[in-house]
Amino acid sequence: MSVHEPVNILMVDDQPGKLLSYEAILNPLRENLLKANSGREALEHLLKSEIAVVLMDVSMPDMDGFQLADMIREHPRFQKTAIIFISAVHLTDVDRLKGYERGAVDYISVPVVPELLRAKVSVFAELYRKNQQLEKLNRELEQRVTERTEELRESESQFRSLANSIPQLAWMANPDGSVFWYNQRWYDYTGTTIDQVQGKGWTRTVHPEHSGRVVAGMQRCWELGVPWEDTFPLRDQQGNYRWFLSRALPIRDAAGNVVRWFGTNTDITERKQAEEALVKSERLAAMGRLAGIIAHEINNPLEAISNAFYLLRDHPSLDEEARYYARLASEEVARISHITKQTLSFYRESRQPIAVSLSEILDNVIELQSRALKLNAISVTKKYTTVGIIQGFPVELKQVFLNIIGNAVQAMGTGGRLRIRLFQSTERRSGREGIRVLIDDTGSGIRREDARRIFEPFFSTKEAKGTGLGLWISKGIIQKYEGSIRFRSMRLGQGHITCFSVFLPAAAAAQVPVAVASSVA
Amino acid sequence: MGTRFVILCVDDEENPLVLRKFLLQRAGYDVITARSAQEALEIASKQDVDLVLSDHLMPGITGTELARLLKSQYPKMLVVLLSGVNEIPVGAEVADVFLSKVEGPESLCQQIAAVLAGSARA
Repeated sequence: MSVHEPVNILMVDDQPGKLLSYEAILNPLRENLLKANSGREALEHLLKSEIAVVLMDVSMPDMDGFQLADMIREHPRFQKTAIIFISAVHLTDVDRLKGYERGAVDYISVPVVPELLRAKVSVFAELYRKNQQLEKLNRELEQRVTERTEELRESESQFRSLANSIPQLAWMANPDGSVFWYNQRWYDYTGTTIDQVQGKGWTRTVHPEHSGRVVAGMQRCWELGVPWEDTFPLRDQQGNYRWFLSRALPIRDAAGNVVRWFGTNTDITERKQAEEALVKSERLAAMGRLAGIIAHEINNPLEAISNAFYLLRDHPSLDEEARYYARLASEEVARISHITKQTLSFYRESRQPIAVSLSEILDNVIELQSRALKLNAISVTKKYTTVGIIQGFPVELKQVFLNIIGNAVQAMGTGGRLRIRLFQSTERRSGREGIRVLIDDTGSGIRREDARRIFEPFFSTKEAKGTGLGLWISKGIIQKYEGSIRFRSMRLGQGHITCFSVFLPAAAAAQVPVAVASSVA
Repeated sequence: MGTRFVILCVDDEENPLVLRKFLLQRAGYDVITARSAQEALEIASKQDVDLVLSDHLMPGITGTELARLLKSQYPKMLVVLLSGVNEIPVGAEVADVFLSKVEGPESLCQQIAAVLAGSARA
């Protein structure tokens, strides 16, 4: 601001001599000096150029100084323009007041003291210059504010479109953790409004079993200013919960203070389910291995015991009672053998998959069950629209259908109808071609609380009669063929209809005929 | 109905081996026992054996390996493998029959009789 930009100083006097003397006095200020011989001429200057100071004689013939000052002040542009009156007559206090009323700034009386005049004009010129600079700065500042606001608006809108395009739910919170903004996905998912979820309102969407922990954990992070992370279920608009991985990061200003929090919630339900399924299948595989090891360890002594009782039960040295005991022991040992055999299906099969006819296998199984079917007065209807050839191992496939049909027969202790359908089909989920077997019965049905556990090992509704391994083994076999096994059970009038659906893809053939319980080292 | 069939029973565990021997004797066979595949090979080289009934999982030479060695030296010798494991071991197909231990004594005797009968017919 040290730059000296000359400002305009307007000198008004009807006497050219006086104007010349003022000019001489003010020249050293290095300002632009404009001269006017009359009030009229002065006004013309004022309209043409920016004037910093008006120096005027009070007494002029056509329009005196006060009149000119009045006219100048009327114009809004000149309301603040500095006016210095020069008066030859003695100025009374009344005259002074009159001047001030018009917003005049100063007086100089005649005879004019050059230093005084120069000093006064200089002060006003400087004031004007400073004002000008200030105004210029103000204007620049305003311009910058406008530009910055525009930039912010733009970046805000970019941010919003970004925040709405990400697959996550996103939100922003004040340093105290009260949320003031959510992206559209949040609203779409939760079905809430900003009024419901602003501040701490979002906690209502957290699963009640988790909300206490979540809120406490978040609070701790707000206080410490450290990133927050947690995993919990959030309620959707239908009232169902899905699992989300939630994170929030503090956004800091230049001084390092947290100004806001930016948070996201990522839906990890599928990932979590896959993980759980993996854990479960690993657990099942481990159980399978364990079952295999145990069964092997049991089978060795079991064979010896079976043989021992077999030899004992008819031994001539024993009396009738002792033989009876040996027979009972023999029968009980046979039960143990049956269980380990079930656990550890022992296949005597070729190692290469062969063409297997599912219709043949189904007929075979029905044949095996024929006695029970007759005994329980169960009618059988078959509808095969294909021979159903797949590459695989007949014994294990037979085991699958023996398990399903055996269960169906047992569920119809007081009669019923067994329907078996076999047809070519396309799996809706994967679009794969294959063969589907539907087996439905009118038996006692599957209770809702059992439905979830039916494919788990050692789960049985048959109490003492079942090992609880049949469907588990069946599922393992079907999975080996990359197929699927599902069921539905529903009430129908007085009874139930239970339908098992097995899909076996045509392309995939199991490569190795292993038992479900995996290998024993 | 000339001479009785001679069965060589192989198992590393004594109790099962002895019981299997009595079972087979009761079923009418002459039974020799061996506590290892090595011992079985020695016996088979010295005397006539119609059928070898061997456990699969044994320390040293396994039953399956024994079956392979016997079949290569005495192609007509019958070999029945017996196991408590749930998988058929690689190479087990050289044996005439691979049996599960949990099938029980009656089944074992039937299977052995069937193998001997099958060979007699051939």
